[in-house]
Amino acid sequence: MSTAETLPDASIRLGAQGVTRRFGELVANDRITFRAMRGTIHAIVGGNGAGKSTLMRILQGMDRPDEGMVVVDGVPTVFLGPADAFSRGIGMVHQEFMLVPGLTLLENLVLAHEPTEGLGRIDRKAALEAARKLEREAGVTLDWDTPVDDAPVHVRQIVEILRLLYRGADVLILDEPTAVLAPAQVQELIVLLRKLRAEGRTILFISHKLDEVMALADEITVIRAGQVIGTMTTADTTKAALAEMMIGEILSKPSARPSSVGRPVLEIRELAALDARRSLRLKELDLDVRAGEIVGIAGVAGNGQDEIIAAVTGLGHIERGRIVLDGKDVTKLDLRDRRELGLSYLSPDRAVEGLCLTAPISENLIAGRHRSPELSKGGILQKGAIKRHVETLLDRFSVKRTSSALPIASLSGGNQQKVAMARELDGGPKLLLACQPTRGVDIRGIAFIHQCLLDYREAGGAVLVISEELEELIALSDRIVVLYDGRVTGEVARGSAKVEELGRMMLGETRQEIPA
Amino acid sequence: MSAVASSARAAPGIGWRDIALAIAPLVLALIVAAVVLGIAGHNPLEVYWLLLKESFGGTKRVAATVAASTPLILTGLATAVAFRTGVFNVGVEGSLLVGGLAAAFVGFTYVDLPAALLLPLALGAAVVAGTLWMLVPAVLKARLDVDEVVTTLMLNFIAVSFTAWLVNGPLLAPGSANSATPMVVEAARLPKLMPPSTLNAGFLIAVALLVLYWLWGRGTALGLETRLAGLNPRFAIASGINVPMLIVKMMLLSGAIGGLAGGIQALGTVNRFVVGFSPGYGFTGIAVALLGRGSAIGIFLAALLFGALATSGATIQLFSDVPIEIVNILQGTVMIFAVARFSWLLKNRRGGK
Repeated sequence: MSTAETLPDASIRLGAQGVTRRFGELVANDRITFRAMRGTIHAIVGGNGAGKSTLMRILQGMDRPDEGMVVVDGVPTVFLGPADAFSRGIGMVHQEFMLVPGLTLLENLVLAHEPTEGLGRIDRKAALEAARKLEREAGVTLDWDTPVDDAPVHVRQIVEILRLLYRGADVLILDEPTAVLAPAQVQELIVLLRKLRAEGRTILFISHKLDEVMALADEITVIRAGQVIGTMTTADTTKAALAEMMIGEILSKPSARPSSVGRPVLEIRELAALDARRSLRLKELDLDVRAGEIVGIAGVAGNGQDEIIAAVTGLGHIERGRIVLDGKDVTKLDLRDRRELGLSYLSPDRAVEGLCLTAPISENLIAGRHRSPELSKGGILQKGAIKRHVETLLDRFSVKRTSSALPIASLSGGNQQKVAMARELDGGPKLLLACQPTRGVDIRGIAFIHQCLLDYREAGGAVLVISEELEELIALSDRIVVLYDGRVTGEVARGSAKVEELGRMMLGETRQEIPA
Repeated sequence: MSAVASSARAAPGIGWRDIALAIAPLVLALIVAAVVLGIAGHNPLEVYWLLLKESFGGTKRVAATVAASTPLILTGLATAVAFRTGVFNVGVEGSLLVGGLAAAFVGFTYVDLPAALLLPLALGAAVVAGTLWMLVPAVLKARLDVDEVVTTLMLNFIAVSFTAWLVNGPLLAPGSANSATPMVVEAARLPKLMPPSTLNAGFLIAVALLVLYWLWGRGTALGLETRLAGLNPRFAIASGINVPMLIVKMMLLSGAIGGLAGGIQALGTVNRFVVGFSPGYGFTGIAVALLGRGSAIGIFLAALLFGALATSGATIQLFSDVPIEIVNILQGTVMIFAVARFSWLLKNRRGGK
């Protein structure tokens, strides 16, 4: 018994032992202990602000715990930095990929560790050989000469993973790996990760998507409010049990009550648009969104969604076609004028476009509306009125905060998105363009935001939702329009949409008619 | 998430951390210069004491320091209003030169006007000249996204040559050979506050503008828009703020203040325009704005620092064998450190991004 305690248990490849990390008052990690066994897939699940990201940073040496240790091969360890963690075989695939644009996939694979021949020239043959070997290990085939910019997102993700393997990592930490993937691609990733596990590698992945966790993980550790709630083997648990552990209660699903559909608020006619690389990405689109209706757009990223956003907001150029907002042709107007006419825009990119992370919560909430007569008079901001307005909105959207004067970056992702949502619904817009409305938001936040959208619809609002989450589109939309290669490949009404069927249409198969 | 939590604690009040970050460039520059002084065989503490005495020891010295900092307050402010909007305007020097010449021109041309009319007219001419000087880079930046650093920097050289040509030709003082305009009449000169010091009413104008800037930045819709556009232009555009128009407005305002700086220098200190009118006020203004971190009080203190270095540097040679170059080294080192982002170091240590 005593020897078992003194000898390191080498079957624990990576773990934490009493890891505590505080930021001022906030305890982000509170005595976290878990162990990921060698050759297994271990999932860390938890809601926004549960402390997952802090833990991951500690596990890959980017941050140090105030108390407790990281455990490597059963031995408590202190990492000096990410390079130190990497030298012990621990690598991370980040949510934002770190590939260098302008280089090919092969060049990215070997970047900074290129095999060289005389005079430092890259030995292409050796690099390609290494790439082929990794392909076999991972069970994939790639066209290595494709420039990164042309490679679809799931291919880039595979390159990220192979790059870590190339440099000798045998523990892979994946942060929300499926957030950017279509259902079929998620399946491919699952196959790939299982293959890597079979070769003895250890995989630690963070997620709040319970379906994937159940499908992929051998063991699951649930954390909530910085603490480990429990660790269990996947076979011994259920999705419902995990959800309850994650949020501490059972949530009721938002439900869509019938609403009366009115006149068209948005009319898109014969729209075609070029992408940033000036190729025709959106080929032809006709679409109406009527008052009291939520229309969802489904599709694998890069099939024209960005161009629809650019066209409806006026932030990008279109090749041809017309955009009519509430009966007025706005094709030539900029976003400022379109907002005046009743357009609201929830950006898909919260960190860069949807919010100004370094600005206070209050300013994020009033930006764009700060010149309305109740908030400023003659160009002078009305401090008192703004304060009241801000606090009322934050309360109504139950945004948890210590002070609205703090930078919005101090809020969790879910609360940040609520602020963005509150701003866009403030002032009664006629049309809301909601892009990835719940990206990076936890279950509780998702339910809240969905309820907001449904309430707005019931009050006669029109919503165009663009989302990569099929479950979300199914829960919200009165109609789902599927986009593939710049065209509509199908449309399904509320109640008749199935994930599998939508998934097929997203990959280009047109809808099969179901005999009556 | 971690960086967030640490910065969240520091805001919204000004904490010790902010003060430490603000004076770090000065302290580091003093240390570096001390090493240089030591190598050159001087006792750094003695030299620093002498510099302090020469810039703040007694009313006359303080007046000289304040007078020297007046143009720097204005050029610092001119730079800051552009920076705030995310525009790196390095062309304040050019606005200052054309503004100075315009004010001097009015001051020696319309000699029959009473002071109550002539002085505002001359200052107004400086503002207009400085503003127009920025028009081309502002429109190029807003319309065609032409890099403002390049255009405004290059315009500085044009301003130097253009004003030099004018004062050597059409505007050369009769009977003079030294590249200067005639003196402006008495009625066009800014009142002296503490004769015989050159400290003049221009300082009051500068301070008044700083106060206005402070109020404007905190309490107006435009102040909010410029800050958001500077922090995150994509966010500002998506929120419906007309960012290109904002850039034009703020670059023109920057030019206007730069022109005013030149006008005040011409009517308050030099009393005419000469070649070599500015020892780089516009460029020092960049350092002032950076060191002052764009805040009104910060700009004031940073301008005072550079003003002090300028006045004490001029006299230190008289009382010691310390060459003036050492003051220039000190000044340059402060500027370099002023640009460094020390907050990044702090965040790293705390385990942030």
